[in-house]
Amino acid sequence: MNPLWFHVDLDAFFATVELLDDPGLLGKPVIVGARPGGRGVVSTCSYEARAFGVHSAMPIGEAYRRCPGGVFLPVRMERYCELSRQVMDILRELGPEVIPVSIDEAWLDMSGTGLLYGSPLEAAKLLKRRIREETGLGISVGVATNRLVSKIASGLRKPDGLVIVESGQEAAFMQGLPLAKLWGAGEKTQTRLRESGILSMADLVAADQPALSRIFGEAGARFLHSAARGIDPGIHGERSGSRGMSTETTFERDIADGEALDAALLEMACALLSRLHGEGLVSRTLVLKLRLSDFSTSSRRITHRSEFIDSTEVLAEARCLLARLWNGSSPVRLVGLGFDGVAEPAKGGQGELFAKDDRKGRLEQVIFGLEAEGLVKGQAAPRPARLIGRNLRGRSPGGNPFHPDDRAQ
Amino acid sequence: MRFTGASMKFSCEKATIAREILIAQEIVASKNALSIMSNVLLTAVNGTLVIKATDIKVGFETHIPVDISTEGMCTVFCDKLAGVLSSLPEGEIEFEQDEQKVIIKPSFKKVRFQIKTISSEKFPELPDISTDSFFSLPSKDFKNMIQQTVFAVSDDETRYFMNGVFMEKNEAALIMVATDGRRLAYARKDLGLPIPEFKGVIIPPKLLSIIAKRAPDEGSIEIAVTEKNIFVRFGNYRLSTVLIEGQFPNYHKVIPDAQKNSVLIKRSDLMEALKRVSIFVEQKSRRTFFKLTPGVLELSSEESELGAAREELPCQYDGPEVIIALNYKYVEDPLRAMSSESVLLEFTEATKAITVRTGSQEDYFHVVMPMQLE
Repeated sequence: MNPLWFHVDLDAFFATVELLDDPGLLGKPVIVGARPGGRGVVSTCSYEARAFGVHSAMPIGEAYRRCPGGVFLPVRMERYCELSRQVMDILRELGPEVIPVSIDEAWLDMSGTGLLYGSPLEAAKLLKRRIREETGLGISVGVATNRLVSKIASGLRKPDGLVIVESGQEAAFMQGLPLAKLWGAGEKTQTRLRESGILSMADLVAADQPALSRIFGEAGARFLHSAARGIDPGIHGERSGSRGMSTETTFERDIADGEALDAALLEMACALLSRLHGEGLVSRTLVLKLRLSDFSTSSRRITHRSEFIDSTEVLAEARCLLARLWNGSSPVRLVGLGFDGVAEPAKGGQGELFAKDDRKGRLEQVIFGLEAEGLVKGQAAPRPARLIGRNLRGRSPGGNPFHPDDRAQ
Repeated sequence: MRFTGASMKFSCEKATIAREILIAQEIVASKNALSIMSNVLLTAVNGTLVIKATDIKVGFETHIPVDISTEGMCTVFCDKLAGVLSSLPEGEIEFEQDEQKVIIKPSFKKVRFQIKTISSEKFPELPDISTDSFFSLPSKDFKNMIQQTVFAVSDDETRYFMNGVFMEKNEAALIMVATDGRRLAYARKDLGLPIPEFKGVIIPPKLLSIIAKRAPDEGSIEIAVTEKNIFVRFGNYRLSTVLIEGQFPNYHKVIPDAQKNSVLIKRSDLMEALKRVSIFVEQKSRRTFFKLTPGVLELSSEESELGAAREELPCQYDGPEVIIALNYKYVEDPLRAMSSESVLLEFTEATKAITVRTGSQEDYFHVVMPMQLE
């Protein structure tokens, strides 16, 4: 059986949701993210806004400068999570395995579904139609025999794109691309490639392997070598095993901006918890993965004594883990967040006092549960305020009244 | 510093200083001889020895009368000082500073100890507050409030905001609440006197345990609260601690308004039965079954390969037959903190929080969340 992967990417997701909820915004440049005047970044923007040169992860002030007539909206993560879940549910109905990458992106393993849906083209059309009809959202789909190529393919003709790379054509497909389309190779890598005289995919294929290693390091060179040939180097998100659940964000360009990283953490914390609770599962272990521009990858985990029940908690821990992994200045290529030891809630479990009332996580859980049962679909989900702002790093009993530097004693 | 050049020398009764150094020893906690925080600061001035200790969060100060030959100050490694003092019999002891050491000589024995000192200038300044910020309450009441709550504090550091006892005022009443998220202990004392305004604070248990252990049953205790610290005074003692930052959960919402059913039972009967049945209770979850039928409470463990336990107790109950699963420690802890003859267990249904209170005293109660039966 030939492997067949669909990479599904929601077009301008947050902005599209805002347009769905307020059709009056149609045709206007919509920018979702931090409040203009603040220090945050753009989460996403509509294609109209992109025409002004606005892009995600751009400082909001810069976005405002480029597009002062834009409609600036706050992030409504709950609502996006709700729609994202609907999309993921549709994917799960169609394919045997769904690997969500982030709130607006997933891989769908369609291997062996030929008899069900016909050709990959027919299957992709069906998928696009169902998502459009059932959620109102547009997607771009990339189809290929491996995940890397499908991911690159989905990004080629956005919005509403469909690119199919036939089996055996992966290398040819990659070589027909400009170097800039090489997913996973960020701005810095691109610059270094240019500086090394590698200006096209063909140059990259022809490049001397040891020389690449010297410039990009072992892991980087291996990635480039495989990717340029349309071979999946397998460095993206782990396959969703039964014990883990993760999501990750690859930045369009490597970033060293704490605000943008924080925004990514917020997004992932919400999406991840919503998925966990949406499937009626629990976890006590949070894992953060960080990949720097040189492809060096590290991860840290923390295990709580009790299960994660609220996204504030997940975000706070994610921030602590990030603070331990990241020096605050090295450019980051990718940040991932995941739960490990994912399981069904234990039997005979101890009840939580602050469950439904105080800790809004339980509320989230209850609502997700109801939504999963289709009981409150269509109703607006509650929208807790943005979860940022609380710096939990200086935790445990208070500060030090005497000498701030004596803490380590 | 005004003592520069002078070598402190004083003498006092062993019992007087030993008692204080043992308290200081609880505070410093650190056994690292190189750290100034493992040392006590001794200041002999005006016929008084001032002893200070800190772990950087909790601060401790006490005054005892001594015979001073030369005024001065130095710090001494507390662990060894405590060891020396507890090894000596009663009688007068002489302390003399000799450059980087303190010589300790009892007047009644041919023994001589010398303990390394660290310059007193390195000793951290303890936070202080003006006298008029304090309010006072009977020491016995405050101790009781601590004993009724402090055991329920969470030791899960990931829930740091539950790692202390929450204290707030409500008009003339002082309220203390502790919870680990699964059980909650509540204590309230109407002081009948105005209490200065302060915002609710989370107090680390270390300070509270010292007060519960050391404050006298007679007399009063004085408290002052600032944004970052709490200050406590009683007798010759001045204690303070840095407060835990963070938001204490909204405990009002988890205190049941009214419960449908109640069980009145002899406290000692229940405690002893729990002790017996718990032998067979699985020790990780500590899940114990409380089965109620009119007039009878039956405690039982789950049956395991090792065996099982079951005990019937007489009680006053005339509600429906019901089984509630509880972590036995969450019942045992409050029972131990109480002193009444009988206790009242109140509940509405097996899955909702139960209340444990004394038959009469309304100022203290405990809320426990049940476990799942399945």
